[in-house]
This record gives sequence, structure tokens and C-alpha cells, in this order.
Amino acid sequence: MQTPIPLLTVDKVSWAVADVSILKDISLCIKQGRFIGLLGPNGAGKSSLLRCIYRFYKPSSGQVTLAEKDIWRLSADDFAKQVAVVLQETPSQFNLSLYDVVSLGLTPHKRLFSGTTDDDKQLIHYAIKQVGLTEHTTQAFDSLSGGEKQRALIARAIVQKPRLLIMDEPTSHLDVKYQIQLMELAKSLGVTVLASFHDLNLAASVCDELLVINEGQIVASGSPHQVITEKMLSDVFGVCAQVSVHPQSVEQPIPHVTYFYGYQTEAPHASEK
Amino acid sequence: MLVKNNLTLIVTLLLSVLSIFAALSFGAAPTKLVDVYNSVSGQWFSSGSDSFLDRIIWQLRLPRTLLAFLAGSGLALAGLILQTVTRNPLADPYLFGISSGASFGVVCFITFTGISAGFSMSLAAFVGSTLTMILLVLIAGRKGSGQVETMLLAGVALSFLFSAFTSLLLYFSDPQAITAILFWTLGSFARAQWHSLWLPALIILSCIAVLMSFRRQLNAMLLGDESAATLGIPVQRFRLLMLMLSSLITAVLVALCGGIGFVGLMIPHIVRFFVSQGTLTGLAMTALVGGTFMVWVDVISRIVMSNQELPIGVSTSAIGSVFFLSLLCFRKREYQ
Repeated sequence: MQTPIPLLTVDKVSWAVADVSILKDISLCIKQGRFIGLLGPNGAGKSSLLRCIYRFYKPSSGQVTLAEKDIWRLSADDFAKQVAVVLQETPSQFNLSLYDVVSLGLTPHKRLFSGTTDDDKQLIHYAIKQVGLTEHTTQAFDSLSGGEKQRALIARAIVQKPRLLIMDEPTSHLDVKYQIQLMELAKSLGVTVLASFHDLNLAASVCDELLVINEGQIVASGSPHQVITEKMLSDVFGVCAQVSVHPQSVEQPIPHVTYFYGYQTEAPHASEK
Repeated sequence: MLVKNNLTLIVTLLLSVLSIFAALSFGAAPTKLVDVYNSVSGQWFSSGSDSFLDRIIWQLRLPRTLLAFLAGSGLALAGLILQTVTRNPLADPYLFGISSGASFGVVCFITFTGISAGFSMSLAAFVGSTLTMILLVLIAGRKGSGQVETMLLAGVALSFLFSAFTSLLLYFSDPQAITAILFWTLGSFARAQWHSLWLPALIILSCIAVLMSFRRQLNAMLLGDESAATLGIPVQRFRLLMLMLSSLITAVLVALCGGIGFVGLMIPHIVRFFVSQGTLTGLAMTALVGGTFMVWVDVISRIVMSNQELPIGVSTSAIGSVFFLSLLCFRKREYQ
């Protein structure tokens, strides 16, 4: 089987802020059509790595290439036509409607003064329908629930027609139903997805591949089954856990993490010694 | 939704035109609407008669009303721009020190030349506010992240700095200069003349064109700097451009009409209560509502006292605040 051309390559990327090195010599490669999960404890460098990839931070050294082109040689518009990003930031105080927010996905595709055509409008309505928010189209974005807001931002990304969708912790603040719904929605879009996660079980069930970052370095990568091990959980996340196989596993075993508790109960004794 | 939006826009447009027209009949010499119509159409379609009434309407009231309309829409747009790019609902053109810069320019001019009237005073105001704008852009332009905070804080600091200079100069000025300056700061459309209208009109119209072409970018700024950047927008440069645009509008208007506060802050909020600001309708509505509001405020300050005009700044703030507060209360009740 021939390996497809990688959509995105990160080649020896380092990023430092005020002499503190946040990312150290990171290399990775994302193939077209895959769903990649980025895992790591708080402060490991997940968001920084994503920011280097979506062209918000310029790496101190190394190179990020999208379809074999250096992303810093592309114009901001050209890059935005290919990569859509869903962040936690949401507008407030200003009453943009859901429709307005979704239509922002057109921004990189439009020249100044060019209007919104009927095709564009169809695309916007299609995207809103795809995330199941049709009945909220004219509603103020502010008045939507957290899950609906995230889905609206995904609709905006659909309108952007990207080849790569990047999501930075899209499911935090959401309840479990919306977490699952959102990730399944992202998977159903058929674009390449790179998303960072906090919930390891969710990541294991939706991702084709996982990357684990710790202290600015990639420490593990591969299929969920290869990556999520009791040893990794203890080394990287510092928790004791048992990894079993999820009952819904079909072709590949989907790992399922069961955490053990009671870390603090030992601590007072330890400090007394 | 679209039909409703268009309808709202058409109604607002009609109301604006009617307001300008109706406003011409108010003043020290009360005029019937029919006479206003005859006079305006007479001037428009033929060279017009030169009667006393025609002169009042054509030479005094019409330029004045048009300047009021321009000032209202210009300030409302400037407020909308600043609120959007700073994502701060309290931002208005005066928060950034532009009006205190203008006051400083005027005070300097009056103190050092003794002249307290005429076009040169407008020029002094313009120089003062442009100076503030340049300082602000220089300070905010250097910052990468945290630009919004820098911009807001530097604006407030500059505003206080120029107020301090102004007060200092006033302290050593003679009472006549102080009166002149006080009247200037309170604002007035009485100086309106046909030949002083083209500059604000040109600037406001080009500003509307720029806003329409950048409307997607403006809306994207509301999502946050990072999201806007991922949509391909050079966030910092764009924000500086918009700051300069709104400062330019404000500087020209402040120079012509003096300090008129509150419109820039309030009108965008009022419009936002009813229409999404993301649409072209919202943009047009802001300009029209701002203009219409100012026309009526000017009418009120002309007729409320006989033989005397109320300073426009006083009536704007007084009427505006009461109206805005009642709107806030009204909205609250709706949610309960």
C-alpha cells in the first residue's frame, strides 16, 4: 500500500518565549483524512504546538509545511482557506446572530466589497443544518448554550471549506452528551482533524491516531491502543489507572481508562515524615 | 428575516429623510411644513427666490440640520468601529482622548492668539485631535499581544494628560477666553455653512464604504483576536487602521461642532438592541439612527428656550442618558 502524501508536517519545531523553551524539537506528520488527537497534561505545550501549526506563533526554529508548502510563505488568506480553527474564544456583549457567526467562515474566501452570493447563503444554511442548529439560525449567538456555541463554530469551519480542521480543547465546558456529539460531528465531516483533548477515553474512541506531548516534547504516538497504556498514564499524567478494552471495539481494540483514586490520603503522612 | 431587515432599513431611511425635512420647520421663526417644502423644492429645481424665509431655510437651517445629521451618523459609526475592534461595549470616540486633544488645541489657540471664532479654531481642534491620534497609534502600534488593553488605557491616560494641560492653560487665561472655550466644548451646529459640509460628508461616506468592504473582518474581530487571525486577518494592523478611521471622523466633527459626547457610545447599543450588528442593515441603521437622533436633539435645543439656544452637548447627554436608561429598564422587563 502506498503511503499518501502527508497533509501537514511539523519538522523540528521549537518555540520559546522569553528564553523559556516551550516546544522542543517537535516533528510530526499528519496524513490526509485522519483524525488525530493531541494529549498531554496542562502546560505540556498542546496549545502552543497547535498555535505554531495554525500560524499564530512563528516557531523559533523548524518548519511547518502544509501540502509541502511552508505555512509562513503562504498568505494569511491562503492559509485560512485551507485550515479552519475552532477555539474556545467566543464573542459576547455584541448581538451577532448565529447566522452571522457561521457566515464568517466566508471571510478568507471573499475579496473586499464582494457580496454574499446565493451559493454562499446555501452553504451557510447547509452548514447550520449539518450541526443541527437550523431552528436557531436567527437567534443571538450569546443566547446559545455552550454546546450549541461550539457546534456553531464548527459550522463556521464547515463554511470555511478547509482541508484541515484544528480544534483546541473543543469539548471542555461541555457535558458528556455534547462532548460525544461534537466529536462525532467533527469526524463525520470527512476532513483531516487535529484536536487536543483532556478526556482520554473520548480521544481514544474517536481518534485514528494519538500524539502525547509532555514538557514540550512528543513522548508517544500511534494508534490509541498503542499510546494509551498504564505506563504512559503514570509517566506523563502521573495517575494510576487500569486500561481495559472498550466493549464497543470493532476492528481495533479501543482502550478504556479506569482511574484509581486516593492520591491525597497518603500525602499528609508523607509530609510529616 | 431578510425581508424584515430590509423593511426596518427602509422605514428608518424614510424617517431620517422626513426628520431632516421636519426639522427645517422648527426654530425662532416658526415655519409651516408646506413653506419648507416650497422653499426647498424652489431652491432645488429653480434658482429660487430670495425671500427672507428662503434664506432662513436654505442658508441657515438646512446646512445646520445636515451637519447635525452628519455629526450624529459619523460619531455613531466611529463608536461602532471602536466598540467592535476593542470588543469593549464602553468604547466611544471620546474615551481615546480625541476630544480632550481637540479641546487642548482650541485652548492653546485662543490663549496664544486671542482669536475665539472662525475656521482657524476648527483647524486648531483638528490639529489637537490628530496629535492625540498619532500618539495613540504610536503607543498601540508597538504592542503585539494585549493591544486592546494598551489602546484603551493609553487613550484614557492621554485624555487625562490633555485635560490637565487644558485646565492649566485655562487657569492662566482671561475670563473671556474661558467663556469661549466653554461654549466650544459644549458643542454647537450654529457655525454650519454649506462650504463646511463637504469634508465631513466625504469622510463619513468613504468611511461607510470602507466599513462595508471590511464588514466580515469587523465581525470576525468580535470572535477574539486569535479566531480573527485564523480567518486570515492581520489583526493588529486592521485594528490600527480602524482606530485611525474613527479618529479621523471624530477629529473632523469635533473641529466643526465641538464636543458632542454620548452619541458614539449610545447609538450603536440602541441599534444593537434591535438588529444584529453583523449585517449591512445594522451598519446602515447605526448611521441613520445616529443622524436622526442628532437632528432632533438639535431641534430641541433650538426651541426649548425662546431667543436662546441650548448647547448641543447638554441636550445630547441629557436626552440620550434618559432615553438609554429607559431602554435598559424596558429590556430588563422583557426578560423577566
